[in-house]
Amino acid sequence: MSDTAHHGPAASLRRIRLIAGHTLGAALHQRLALLLAITGAALVLGARWLRDFNFGAAELKFIADFGLGAIGFFGTLLAALATAQLFCSEIESRAADCVLTRPVRRWEYLTGKFAGVVALLTLFVLTLVIVLGVVLAVRESQLGATLAPLPVFLQACALQWLKITLVAAMTLFVCSYAGSALFASCAGLLLALVAQLRGFAGGGSWAWLRVWPDLGLFDGEALLAAGHPASGGWLLSLAGYWAAYVLLFVALASYAFKRREF
Amino acid sequence: MPSAEAPWAVEFAAFAKSYPTGWTGGRIHALRPLTLQLAAGQVLGLLGPNGSGKSTTLKALAGLIAPTEGTCRIFGQAAGSDAARTLVGYLPEAPQFSPHQTGREFLHYCAGLSSLGGATATRRVDEVLRWSGLGEAAERKVGTYSKGMTQRVGLAQAVLHEPRLVLLDEPAGGLDPEGRLALNRLIRDLAARGTTVVFSSHLLAQAEEVCDRLVLLGRGRLLAEGAPAELLGAERDANPGPSRLEKLYLEKLHAHE
Repeated sequence: MSDTAHHGPAASLRRIRLIAGHTLGAALHQRLALLLAITGAALVLGARWLRDFNFGAAELKFIADFGLGAIGFFGTLLAALATAQLFCSEIESRAADCVLTRPVRRWEYLTGKFAGVVALLTLFVLTLVIVLGVVLAVRESQLGATLAPLPVFLQACALQWLKITLVAAMTLFVCSYAGSALFASCAGLLLALVAQLRGFAGGGSWAWLRVWPDLGLFDGEALLAAGHPASGGWLLSLAGYWAAYVLLFVALASYAFKRREF
Repeated sequence: MPSAEAPWAVEFAAFAKSYPTGWTGGRIHALRPLTLQLAAGQVLGLLGPNGSGKSTTLKALAGLIAPTEGTCRIFGQAAGSDAARTLVGYLPEAPQFSPHQTGREFLHYCAGLSSLGGATATRRVDEVLRWSGLGEAAERKVGTYSKGMTQRVGLAQAVLHEPRLVLLDEPAGGLDPEGRLALNRLIRDLAARGTTVVFSSHLLAQAEEVCDRLVLLGRGRLLAEGAPAELLGAERDANPGPSRLEKLYLEKLHAHE
């Protein structure tokens, strides 16, 4: 094997793709993703029959809010639990040793793992968005009313995807030094909760929380309530905000993981 | 004597590894300063009880841990460096591989990570499946493998990319007598091809049978090292078999207590 075959961006990308594919394959064979997807889909399908709890909102809006809430809630659970389990189980089983003693750099391993989890979350969100879209379309035709234009609905769903992939990046950072999947899952969920409540952080002793990402910005329900598509500039700045934090968490995770001993 | 052009396959120079014990400021010495060289193509057995430093020695060579003091080199390259990792194949102790993949899929994944692709990967995967005796189980899920088969697929992934140095951590762990004999055959076969092999074991008889060099470790210290014949001396002929090696090991261990 020539030494050049191991180096360069193309070789790195190939290894990341392999690790991502392997991670996605492992995730799809776990019951966790299936269980959360089925529960989420069942709730979305059943939203119509839960409208008695709608506190006076219109039925279509209730279904949409409920559906987006289910995607956000179960997606956050999946992001934290799947990232922790897929990462830590490979380390605990020592299978990661066989990867890391090959010409695979630690950051490539982490990035591959993250890409695999992002692919899983993308499939999860797509599945629930299709279910929600069908439920809304059926009720719209039955009621003869329209909730919001399709681009608004899709933008709201995209915001949920951004939110849960950011949770996965936070959990990946914890995994880079965590000793067990249980700890990483709990810490990941706790960090996600802090990020969800970050908007409430005031001044004084809570001011330091402002460095933490604000998941409240990725509020798809508010976008739907507005009823018109968000501006391109706002979407771009939000995507930049998301990308900056994802890069930061993956970089921090790479730094910690590079120094980790097995 | 190895030179700059043909360096030692393995070279520890006052390599030591210790870990902090917590708030007390104390340290646990996993491996006291170890100086050791091994020429290419030899089989080295690391012997010792639990906590003697065998796995630490192998992990240092694999680049999974960094030294507290000293250095560790593989064919002249710092262990853990990009260059060194292309030269190493590693089987960890009691590994569990992806249960959802077949043996063949798992080996193809490992081949890809070692930059083997296309026809070369397919050829090597077929070769190591045959070599490790897993040919007929290649299409079965790894999750359905017995302990011995898991160990074999682990061995197969370690030699897949034809590394110059193969590191095996307790490769005989959990194997039945037949499996151990097969493992001995595979290790001898690797050595016959010029591959350097370093493995750890509790099984003194196995080590004596397949090793060119033995290293006895106890509580992180090097107790003795040399060829089996050197270590056992003339008494080996008078008292052949593992019992003599066990006796020697216990003598060395107690001498340091």
